[in-house]
Amino acid sequence: MWKQPAPANSSFNEYNTFPLPQTQRGGQSSHAHGPIGHTQQPLVTGTSVLGLKFDKGVMIAADNLASYGSLARFRDIQRLHPLGKHTLLGVAGDMSDFQWLKKELDGLLRSEDALALTDSHPSLSPKNIYELLSNLFYARRSKMNPVWNAVLVGGWDKVKEESFLAYVDLLGTTYTAPTLATGFGAHLAQPLLREAYEAKAGIDGEGPLLTQEEAEKVLDDCMKVLFYRDARSINKYQVATITAGGVTISDSRSADTYWKFAEGLRGYGAQTQ
Amino acid sequence: MALYHNPPMAYAQEPTTAPIEHRFNPYSDNGGSILAIAGSDFSVIAGDTRQSEGYNIQTRYARKVWQLTDKAVLATNGFAADGNNFVKRVKQRLEWYEHAHHKPMGLKSIARMIQTMLYGKRFFPYYVYNILGGIEEDGTGAVYSFDPVGSYEREACRAAGAAQSLIQPFLDNQIYFKNQQPEPGAAPFIPGNLPLGTVLSLVVDSFTSATERHIEVGDGMEIYVVMKRGRTTDDLLGDNKLAPGMTIEELPSLGESVGGVESEGEGQGGERTFLVRQALKRD
Amino acid sequence: MELNGGSVVAMIGKDCVAIASDLRLGNQAVGVASNFDKVFPVNDKLYYGLPGLATDVYTLKEHLRFRVNMYRMKEEREITPKTFTHLVSSTLYEKRFGPFFIEPVVAGLPTPTELDPHPKPFISTMDTIGCITTPKDFAVAGTAADKLYGVAEGLWEPDLEPEDLFETVSQTLLNAVDRDALSGWGAVVHIITQDKVITRTLRARMD
Repeated sequence: MWKQPAPANSSFNEYNTFPLPQTQRGGQSSHAHGPIGHTQQPLVTGTSVLGLKFDKGVMIAADNLASYGSLARFRDIQRLHPLGKHTLLGVAGDMSDFQWLKKELDGLLRSEDALALTDSHPSLSPKNIYELLSNLFYARRSKMNPVWNAVLVGGWDKVKEESFLAYVDLLGTTYTAPTLATGFGAHLAQPLLREAYEAKAGIDGEGPLLTQEEAEKVLDDCMKVLFYRDARSINKYQVATITAGGVTISDSRSADTYWKFAEGLRGYGAQTQ
Repeated sequence: MALYHNPPMAYAQEPTTAPIEHRFNPYSDNGGSILAIAGSDFSVIAGDTRQSEGYNIQTRYARKVWQLTDKAVLATNGFAADGNNFVKRVKQRLEWYEHAHHKPMGLKSIARMIQTMLYGKRFFPYYVYNILGGIEEDGTGAVYSFDPVGSYEREACRAAGAAQSLIQPFLDNQIYFKNQQPEPGAAPFIPGNLPLGTVLSLVVDSFTSATERHIEVGDGMEIYVVMKRGRTTDDLLGDNKLAPGMTIEELPSLGESVGGVESEGEGQGGERTFLVRQALKRD
Repeated sequence: MELNGGSVVAMIGKDCVAIASDLRLGNQAVGVASNFDKVFPVNDKLYYGLPGLATDVYTLKEHLRFRVNMYRMKEEREITPKTFTHLVSSTLYEKRFGPFFIEPVVAGLPTPTELDPHPKPFISTMDTIGCITTPKDFAVAGTAADKLYGVAEGLWEPDLEPEDLFETVSQTLLNAVDRDALSGWGAVVHIITQDKVITRTLRARMD
């Protein structure tokens, strides 16, 4: 989903490892070409993030890969990031922007915590954090210097006693739904998530929601489908669960995959002749 | 000869012009459609609730119609991020106005303010089509429609968004009575004078039709009805006035009853706004 | 399509069909003629409309006239709406990689036979390379197609009598082409029933 890095056309690239390291980064002033220097492109990217509401909270899943173009560059990156006790981000897109975002938000939360020590200072709700992110993303896109991510915010609203799940991306586009997916997940997993959700809750969401076990099973299935068909994914992922009790992020796990069918197919896997 | 043999790739591919830049596109189109119709003493503002990007449905419920004051409702359509942030700014300006003047801004003033705000971003526009509906100071129902950079006019009805081309000619026919003549001797047609029941069914028909033929329209719709102060609500709240499957709620007054002059008791004090919801097909 | 402009709509009624078109011929935004009929008879129960590139309208019309005449001589009977639709379709597909810029609309009443004493009214439409659709309600084509869809979807209802069908198709066409810069400049409507065809030229906005 994230744009293929620009092909090298400025100098020789011996190993065809696009993109070239000298690709211009955001915020840097431009040189000869064009007047604006903000424009950036994603370099090291994470693929789909999935989100699903269940009866006692919300779950978010993302794999552990950070790709460099088509290269599976970093295979143990955590793309789920907790913020305080009841909020969690699942981040797709540019991983350096994600790291910057983490630093900013962690800093903010630290100062909020400090305030809470001396005063009856309410902690930031998932809604507060989401609103902040939305404004940040929209402000940056309006400066033509986008934060190149798509983010799912999952959380538990302590006051309303209900789960929270919402999306925001580099354009500042926002929306919420009981099931969400970014990137390839929007094509491959979202239909499965909606089907599972609506099977119990109905199209109006009035019925009972999935249980924690059911929700986790659906996400496991979706991550497997994504691993099979999304070339920028890896079979190593984590699932975060956010309930009234707080955030838990699972250890990395793998889906059971089946490749026997490949043996009979020419052109699929190693060739014997 | 060896010198010319196999020139290095970099040399062969040296660009003669600037490299192709993937310039960041700050806009998107989130589909959907909106519409508003003015009556003599009411105004109806409606929109569907689907938000999409390309062939993906992002959500089946995203708001496009917003209550601004007791007598003004704004519908936005186009790039959702711009729409949401534009509404946010409009609401902020309305609050400032109320603090400064101790009264809510009037409809035609809101319309002019919206034009100024849109034109203020003439060279990096809000990619949003706006339709403002409500009750004018003289108590008449009004609809104002805008283009993304602020051109606006008051009309009896307007459709905008993905299904504008499907809905607007239908409205020309049914609201403006275009290509129709009254029977000889009958009263002439006057646009903007239809009864509420008729207007509501035209709105529903417009959206169900658009849902049939346009992929970006569907899921559900929200119809805001703003009524002049003191107007009867029997034609909206009475038995069997709404089609099956519709739900209705009255929205609480936003007015802070400045000076406490407002007559409490019957709740008939000012303009009243109702929100009617109906499901649309999801395919 | 956008060179000359023009639109056609067809609708099914109760034992009748209607087909109507505007009369504009343009050169991009410039109106050139207001008598450019795009609907032609095959016989007294079968009409078809050819909105699109004007030069192809003539070519296709003559080509179809030839092929229908050949069909008549070989078969010694009139062509049915369904067969005619397939004839148009294959004619278009012959030019698959250099198509006629036409989106035909066919409307007809099949003649009752012993096997089928109560044949249903028939309409069909195609894309430029002959992919057929046979709607149960209405068919639209041309530069005002999206507007026609919107109005027709709002006005049409099943089992309209000929005069009601005439009103419906006329209102649909007129209000749609009034919102289309490339269509309009007059309109003509044909209502086909088992015993007669009613053809009326409508008074329309000429701007």
